[in-house]
Amino acid sequence: MTRDLDTATTAAPETPAPARRTGWRRITMIAAIAGPGLVAANAGNDAAGIATYASAGSQFTYGTLFFMVLVTVALVMVQEMAVRLGAHTGKGLGALIREQFSLRLTALAVFCLLLANTGLVVSEFAGIGAAFELVGVPKWAVIPPAAILLWALVLFGSYHWAERIFLIMSLAFFAYPVAMILGHPDWGAVGHHLVVPHIEPSKSFILLAVALIGTTVSPYMQFYAAAGVVDRGAKPDDYPLIRADAILGAVFACVISLTIIIATASAIGGSGPLDSAAQAAEALKPVAGQNAELLFALGLIGASALAGAVVPLSASYAVGEAAGVERSVSRSFRDAPLFLGLFTAQIVLGATVAMTPVDVIQLLIGTQVLQGLISPVVLVYLLVLTNRRSVLGEAANSPRYRLAATAVVIGVAAMSTILLVQTILSWFGLA
Amino acid sequence: MSTSARFRDRRVHLERRATASKAVRTSLVSLAGLIGGPVTNQSGEEVGRVVDVVARLYGVDSYPPVTGLILRIGRRRTFLPADALGKVNAGHVRLRTARVDLRDFARRPGEVLLAKDVLDHQLVDVDGVQVTRAADLYLAPLVDQVVLVGVDVSLPTLLRRLGPRRWQTRPTPERVLDWQAVAPFAEQATEGPPEVRLRASRAALHRLRPADLADILEDLGRTERQQLLGWLEPEQAADALEEMEPAELENLLREAQPEHAARLIDEMEPDEATDALRDLTREEREALLARMPKGGAAELRRLLAHREDTAGGAMTTLLITTRRDETVAEVRGRLAEQAEHRTEIDAVAVVDGEDRLLCDIALFDLAVAEDTTPIADLVAWRAQFGPPDTVQADTSLAEAADQLVAARASSLLVVDDTDRPIGRILADDLLDAMLPERGRMHFRRFLQ
Repeated sequence: MTRDLDTATTAAPETPAPARRTGWRRITMIAAIAGPGLVAANAGNDAAGIATYASAGSQFTYGTLFFMVLVTVALVMVQEMAVRLGAHTGKGLGALIREQFSLRLTALAVFCLLLANTGLVVSEFAGIGAAFELVGVPKWAVIPPAAILLWALVLFGSYHWAERIFLIMSLAFFAYPVAMILGHPDWGAVGHHLVVPHIEPSKSFILLAVALIGTTVSPYMQFYAAAGVVDRGAKPDDYPLIRADAILGAVFACVISLTIIIATASAIGGSGPLDSAAQAAEALKPVAGQNAELLFALGLIGASALAGAVVPLSASYAVGEAAGVERSVSRSFRDAPLFLGLFTAQIVLGATVAMTPVDVIQLLIGTQVLQGLISPVVLVYLLVLTNRRSVLGEAANSPRYRLAATAVVIGVAAMSTILLVQTILSWFGLA
Repeated sequence: MSTSARFRDRRVHLERRATASKAVRTSLVSLAGLIGGPVTNQSGEEVGRVVDVVARLYGVDSYPPVTGLILRIGRRRTFLPADALGKVNAGHVRLRTARVDLRDFARRPGEVLLAKDVLDHQLVDVDGVQVTRAADLYLAPLVDQVVLVGVDVSLPTLLRRLGPRRWQTRPTPERVLDWQAVAPFAEQATEGPPEVRLRASRAALHRLRPADLADILEDLGRTERQQLLGWLEPEQAADALEEMEPAELENLLREAQPEHAARLIDEMEPDEATDALRDLTREEREALLARMPKGGAAELRRLLAHREDTAGGAMTTLLITTRRDETVAEVRGRLAEQAEHRTEIDAVAVVDGEDRLLCDIALFDLAVAEDTTPIADLVAWRAQFGPPDTVQADTSLAEAADQLVAARASSLLVVDDTDRPIGRILADDLLDAMLPERGRMHFRRFLQ
């Protein structure tokens, strides 16, 4: 599918070279295939995302569906604000935060992003390990070579081919919508839970709710979406198209997440939290039968490898942007020490932690909780930036939008705070 | 020299260097350290705190003089003119007089707030040819005034600013760019009078190569980019635009004022301008063409009529033609007049009285010929190699490339049905059009 993006003119002279493509055709083509919105949202359905959604289905069956609808609304608004900033200023989020806030606040944001992303990298490598364990290969034999391979591919090799292979592999997760239908869920209950709010006052429910926010509205996605828009050279005139891409991408990703929850709910709903990747694969049985684990493993490897490269890179880009230093994978370590150093460090750290004998699924969900805690910080910056007329001029948030966006940020922050308080109380044995 | 002597020399050298760098360090005042620092009167009582430093950035001075401070006194913000400043130390300002004249601040032409407008914002490092961010600005207190001397862009300085206040006041000149080698942007600043607009750094911008300038334009934010374009002469800007990535160029043309964009398009080489116009929508294209001089617009329209993947779509219409009766010296003279288009001229077409093509003479052949040789002689000599290699406007680029290779030439003439030359297709344009974008691994891959 992405093959068309780079037309090898030497082989097929009648196709125009990328450089000479007309603007409209190029924009529609990219928007249709891989607009920043779609890519960013799709990246949410990586190893960690799948684990969280599957866990939601297995633990609370359809109970989290209404919450996911709320999360969808939040994601749409947040992604929209991020691409609006990128399109109207031509600068990424990291750069804008540094220009508009103090350096210390920038450092805070960037530190949060790095922390959350390193957690994500851990989970991506854990995902690769888990996928290979499904087919009987121990993770200690897989993770180190996978880390070295990814690192080398990005820095020296042709990541762009690998990227496509990973993308195609991660398409395996598109089996979930089919599995959902074949799994004959209780459609009445699904409909009910999609519309009627449902909250369980248990710690595990809130923990999972925060994890759902964390995996769906992850901070790196906003940095990525804004940077993507800037890098694609979009401008205010393109904004309607970009907004459509961001909204469609967000909605699409959330629909896939919903189908994963429903499919898992109807397959293994009520069996408590997931404790292995094999259980998450269970939901694919209606589609792949005995090969469900293989299909799941394939998808997990693809998604994890893709995100395992994109996530640390996007964090390095954000840091480089904020610090104003050289940032490009085509530079040498001497020219771009911070950028390449951070990228390397994240991969090394991620792979090392993933090697330790941790409970993979719990780790994946834990990462999402971390993301959920950090999201409010990034969202507040995003909100303040989009409110400022000195930054966006006419495109700044209208009073009504400002109200809605503030509500979203407060909602996300409230969820995180509840979790934080509960966690701290539990340390003292009070909860 | 004995080993101990070498060691001694080395120690002396290191000591000298340490002393020198210490001297530099103590004489500089870090702007980041000054912000938030106390302002005291002669008797040492605190009057207020520094909020920002005002400097005249766009003026005649080579180093911008500080024209005043913005102070916070209680909950009020006021302006303190520079003549009240006594001594500016690291992190602390002492006033000259006990009585200070406080006013409300209003920007005067060319003035900027250094902390708000320059610190942490994008700027162009003209010597290093890159877009960077100001991590700190260094002020140098001279006898009668304080001037801004340099910009620190190093990472340790950024880290220092994250630390406690004690660290912040201490300058860490690691990688300091001389103010003269920097082109700062300050959106808010009102420009000074037009005759002094070209500060040294802007003059330095004019020395940049077009490709470097293109890289810089691509890295800048939207407003900064338009500001930089405004500083450049249209010819220089056009040269840079020709080197830009098509997508970036497309944006830049859309963002610019239509008049300015039309001016830039007009200055670009016709083939590059055509490429740029192709990327725009029909309305945008018409809007720009309508604002261009008639002749140029008509030529571009003619070029736009060709399909982009044919020889006609990639050719340049800049042709140097000659007749048989001219001499080599005359042709060379004509070439000299066209020196600014040197990259577009590869050979000279010889035509007959009805403008039909007779021969295509490469520049090398002209260079080695005698001044007095008539062109007719060269035509006769070239005839032994057969008729000139030409392509039609609708020839595909792949075919044109094959033909170019077969002819062992670096350009081919494009002729119409009646064998009259209408343009020339250059090897580099062919390469541009035919090479797939070679993937040095860029993040772009993920994003596009």
